[in-house]
Amino acid sequence: MGIVVLLDAFNGLIVGAFYGLMAIGLSLILGLNGVINFAHGTFMALAAYLAFTLMPVLGFWGALVVAPVLAAALGFLVERFLIRRLYRREPIYSLLLTFGLALIMQDLIRTIWGAQGQPITIPNLLDHPLSNTYFFLTGYRVFVVAAALLSTGALFAVLRYTRLGIRIRAGNADLETVATLGVNIYLLRAANFVLGIYFAGLAGILAAGQLGLTPTMGDTLIMPSFVAIVVGGVGSLLGSLLGGLLIGVASGVTTAFFPAASAVVIYVIMGVMLVIRPRGLLGQEGLLE
Amino acid sequence: MSAVLAVEGLHTYYGKSHILHGVSLEVREAELVALLGRNGAGKTTTMRSIMGLTPPREGKIVLFGEPVGGLAPHRIAGRGVGYVPEGRKVFGHLSVHENLLVPAATPGRWTIEAIYRLFPRLAERRTSKGSRLSGGEQEMLAIARALLLNPRFLILDEPSQGLAPVIVQEVMRTVAAMKAEGIAVLLVEQNAFLALELADRAYVLSDGEVVHEGPAAALAADRARMEALAGVARAG
Repeated sequence: MGIVVLLDAFNGLIVGAFYGLMAIGLSLILGLNGVINFAHGTFMALAAYLAFTLMPVLGFWGALVVAPVLAAALGFLVERFLIRRLYRREPIYSLLLTFGLALIMQDLIRTIWGAQGQPITIPNLLDHPLSNTYFFLTGYRVFVVAAALLSTGALFAVLRYTRLGIRIRAGNADLETVATLGVNIYLLRAANFVLGIYFAGLAGILAAGQLGLTPTMGDTLIMPSFVAIVVGGVGSLLGSLLGGLLIGVASGVTTAFFPAASAVVIYVIMGVMLVIRPRGLLGQEGLLE
Repeated sequence: MSAVLAVEGLHTYYGKSHILHGVSLEVREAELVALLGRNGAGKTTTMRSIMGLTPPREGKIVLFGEPVGGLAPHRIAGRGVGYVPEGRKVFGHLSVHENLLVPAATPGRWTIEAIYRLFPRLAERRTSKGSRLSGGEQEMLAIARALLLNPRFLILDEPSQGLAPVIVQEVMRTVAAMKAEGIAVLLVEQNAFLALELADRAYVLSDGEVVHEGPAAALAADRARMEALAGVARAG
């Protein structure tokens, strides 16, 4: 029994890492751009499909590097030509825009790559269990967790030590004042959106190697990612990551004891969190209470 | 003397409410101009209109001889305008040093090192979060941030607000030092006597209109007139 729980908990941790990466991107974009990006899951799927197409040419590692960058480049165009026009309007406009964009992009993926799933080949190096007892500890799974932690660490370093990152953090609190200090906030918002989409792309490729590649893969991850933001605390990136890992593991452990409830448990956690600590794990006080 | 700022016939609205009714004013080279008036007279709205934060619906704004109406705030700042907003607007969750890294600094005499020499207190507190600073320190930080743009023109919105008298004196000395360096200053104050001590000329706003303009000394000497104009004397 113990090992089964451990297996499920670890599976949950993996899925939680995907939630966390998604939630970080969503959180970044919600913070500075003020946009609830419903197309986040579709950007994620698109990056995974791009990686699938690039793999025969660049191999797994090359695709892992290039595909999120391509998705981020598309994100730049979307921000520049569509989302930018809506900043001054009510949030409902950008919500509708990204929702529509998600539908269009998803059908585009179906048209190009087909409605059925595609196989992703992960490198041999990562395809073996690391231990006979803990057979579920495959190289790939450990790699996913390491990649999530590493990329998040890199993001924190950018936000903490670079002018771009410091300006993003300042802009989250007061974009107007940042503008009066001579900073081009149009560029700042574009850069931030691109960064958020990059994280969606990264999550997409990692997830495709574990959960499979389908046009709707983003749909199953995006709602829990929103939950991760609420649980982790709106406005806190670290909170988003922790929220993702927490609900992932909770969902995994529930699978071991009561499989039918594994999908519901994350919403229960969110409900309980909203009652006892509305600001979430690391959210700022007063944002939701 | 050429004008640093020339504002003509500004009409600014917040939604449907008409706040500024044809405000005109001018700031000349190396001049310190005070903009006075009681709460709600339209002082902050005038500043926000000039900075492009609340663009006027009508009127002309000419900065250093070029029209800047319709430009984004960062472009206006980029022309050489340092803006110290009402309430200081320090980034509370960033450290003092990080606050100083936010501005799009332009090369010139004001570097972060020079700022730390001017305000040793900020150097001491460089790792403290902005929200942990006293009101006076926050005001220094807000001025420091604006100076990093190496502005030719400084706009200060209520720098004395909520500060202890000793600190106010220090802030005003800093403002005077900026003027002495040849930076033109537009100083918005509710505390009229304080502003008039430093200013060359003054404008008084009331209900979104300029109701008086003239030399600062003459206005300061005429207490009765100040009372009548905008009730600005009570702060003395």
